Amino acid sequence: MLRGRIKFIIAIAVIVVTLSYLVYGGVKEAKVYYLTVGELKERVPSVYTDKVRVSGTVVPGSIKKDLDGGLEFKITDGERTLDVHYKGIIPDIFKDEVEAVVEGVYTPENVFQANVLLAKCPTKYESLDGLEKGENI
Amino acid sequence: MVETGVISIFLSFIISVYILIASLAGGKTGRRELIKSAENGAVAVFFLLTLACISLIHALLTRDFSLKYVALNSSRDLSTIYTITALWAGQAGSLLLWSWILSVYMALVVVLNRGRNRGLMPFVLGVLAAVSCFFTYLVGFVESPFEKLPFVPADGNGLNPILQNPYMAIHPVTLYIGYVGVTVPFAFALGALISGRLGDEWIRSSRTWTVFCWTFLSLGLLLGARWAYLELGWGGYWAWDPVENAAFMPWLVATAFLHSVMIQEKKGMLKKWNLALVILTFFLAIFGTFITRSGIISSVHSFAQSDIGPYFLAFIGVILLFSFGMFILRLDDLKSDDHFDSILSRESAFLFNNLIFLGAAFSVFLGTIFPILTEAIKGEKILVGPPYFNRVNVPMGLILILLMGVGPLISWRKASKQNLMRNFLYPTIFGLLTGIVLFILGIREIVALVSFGLCAFVSATVFTEFFRGVRVRSSRGENYLIALYRLISRNRRRYGGDIVHLGVVLIVIGITASSAFVTQKEATLKRGETLSIGKYTMRFDELRRYSTQAKDGTAATLTVFNREKEIGSMVPEKNVYKYEGNREINQETEVALRSTFKDDLYVILTGVDDTGAANFRVLINPMVSWIWAGGVVLLLGAIVTMWPARVERRAEAGARYSVGVSKDTVVKA
Repeated sequence: MLRGRIKFIIAIAVIVVTLSYLVYGGVKEAKVYYLTVGELKERVPSVYTDKVRVSGTVVPGSIKKDLDGGLEFKITDGERTLDVHYKGIIPDIFKDEVEAVVEGVYTPENVFQANVLLAKCPTKYESLDGLEKGENI
Repeated sequence: MVETGVISIFLSFIISVYILIASLAGGKTGRRELIKSAENGAVAVFFLLTLACISLIHALLTRDFSLKYVALNSSRDLSTIYTITALWAGQAGSLLLWSWILSVYMALVVVLNRGRNRGLMPFVLGVLAAVSCFFTYLVGFVESPFEKLPFVPADGNGLNPILQNPYMAIHPVTLYIGYVGVTVPFAFALGALISGRLGDEWIRSSRTWTVFCWTFLSLGLLLGARWAYLELGWGGYWAWDPVENAAFMPWLVATAFLHSVMIQEKKGMLKKWNLALVILTFFLAIFGTFITRSGIISSVHSFAQSDIGPYFLAFIGVILLFSFGMFILRLDDLKSDDHFDSILSRESAFLFNNLIFLGAAFSVFLGTIFPILTEAIKGEKILVGPPYFNRVNVPMGLILILLMGVGPLISWRKASKQNLMRNFLYPTIFGLLTGIVLFILGIREIVALVSFGLCAFVSATVFTEFFRGVRVRSSRGENYLIALYRLISRNRRRYGGDIVHLGVVLIVIGITASSAFVTQKEATLKRGETLSIGKYTMRFDELRRYSTQAKDGTAATLTVFNREKEIGSMVPEKNVYKYEGNREINQETEVALRSTFKDDLYVILTGVDDTGAANFRVLINPMVSWIWAGGVVLLLGAIVTMWPARVERRAEAGARYSVGVSKDTVVKA
């Protein structure tokens, strides 16, 4: 009886330890700092070695696309701006003034090399700004 | 109609409050007329909320832009079908749908239990009514879909084009049926706790309802994956996005419960555990609604955000405090009737299955709330991406597949050597052989080899089981097909479960192949130029621009060759939706997909320039169709399990089953 119970305890302990190890290793491997443009710039130079996700508004007129899918644009937090280089799939809703989220590394050349580009459906989507006024009641 | 909607929601809130009070009071005092009137109230709430939904659909269809919800989620040029589905495109509408589905469940529970679970029912209904109070309050007083605008816009904002997809029309409803459905097992569990009737009643009802909503959760997840695959245009179907995780977590815990409940039914063990799982499932469903709807965790999926967050937090707090408070009060009544004998037994296979499902759910939970945690503790937001989730969940998933093969065949109490040899020798050999053959064929990815080997092992155990059953029956002179049919219909739960497992195996094969062996290529082509990927070659033939009432489309036609043979043409598109108003989201990429059981050819038109050249991204995703096929098999298995058997048949199946069990025990002794 006791031996049987010990076996269970060992088995459960193995599961728990394995899980913790996987979680710990996974976090270490996959952690990404979520910063604003300003926070990113304040963390130079230690930020160069981290994986970072930055969000900001796309500066109007800054988007340069070449046909091969290469993309350059700037995002801003209202005060500072960040140059972003990206190559890959461009989300449908990506354009001037949307909130873009980029993930990648910030290089010492002061360019953000992104390998992920997400565009958040503008929160405006649920706001009334887009509605044209018809006749007032 | 708008007034009708407003009044209906208001009344359904009032009646929900009444049901809550009347049924709990009726349950305590045993006064029949109180219980009766509470039950009638449940039916009334269902009719009222149905009326509210109809009113909102009416407002949408008649383009009543004086309503904020209609103005924000539809427009004059929107087709009828998507105008109706706009009912759940936004926040307030989704919450109304939540409340309505809950009212359907509430009415169903009342109708189906008129002659059953009488002692338990008032408390079950009380819990359902409490949840209904919360949601009808939200829809009625916080986020009303019938809120008026101060002016009437000429046209609405329109529906986001990526929501205009047949899968988006059914995926949310399917998922919601599952999501909301976990309220019912929760209500039975909590009802049992409140009333102190912790016998078999609640567990039997909880199990049946969990099978039902688990099926819908599974289908909802798969349909969502398929929608993402077809519509989001990045080539994958699952990204560990918070919104996906929100639906995945309750699924994981519900799956754990569906397995551990068998231990309680057969052996009277794990009573506390099962209660905890049901409460946890409900908590995760509400938590999921909370994180997707409150915008507390940023996600690309969360279209609608608002300030309903605090209400949800308070609600979650009340649920957890109350449920676990009751739980602790009743601890003495939840003693186990039996204990674990051997680590090599079905009980322990199920126990480990449960621990791993729960571990997986915990790791997904941790990963999802990681940014909130780190912000609270360290003051900086740190996310964990897909590598985290894969690293934790892939090994867990592999062990679960192994257990999926072991659990159904290993004997109860203590497996003997004969039992192990008899049931697992051939499947193990088959699994190992599969791995070796695939290795010789050139597959070197360890995870894929292990996964395919385990899938082969599980399939072999399932086939052994069917084969044995059919052979016994056909030796009595039954035709094979009839033997198979009778075998399944005599023990639907067991064989239905086996079919569900086969569906899961197909899904796992699809996921393994499509995540381990993707090839992709990107190229800019002028007219007449070709691109080769794998065995496929595609020639860019023409770029066509067209206009319809709703959009300006750009369509690229590619002729596809499999080696030398022409196999057809593919037409990826890039569309710009026309708007009369000033709508924000107007671009949509329409991928072209050629799907076979071997692989999917997935073509995205990423860009077009003025000279007529176009940029394409092409992916070969192997065996993705297996995932969808697995979903169909899973649904079939679930239907077999749930199919109502006639009472005497069910009794017979039970008797046979227990004979089968005791035979094993005899062999062992």
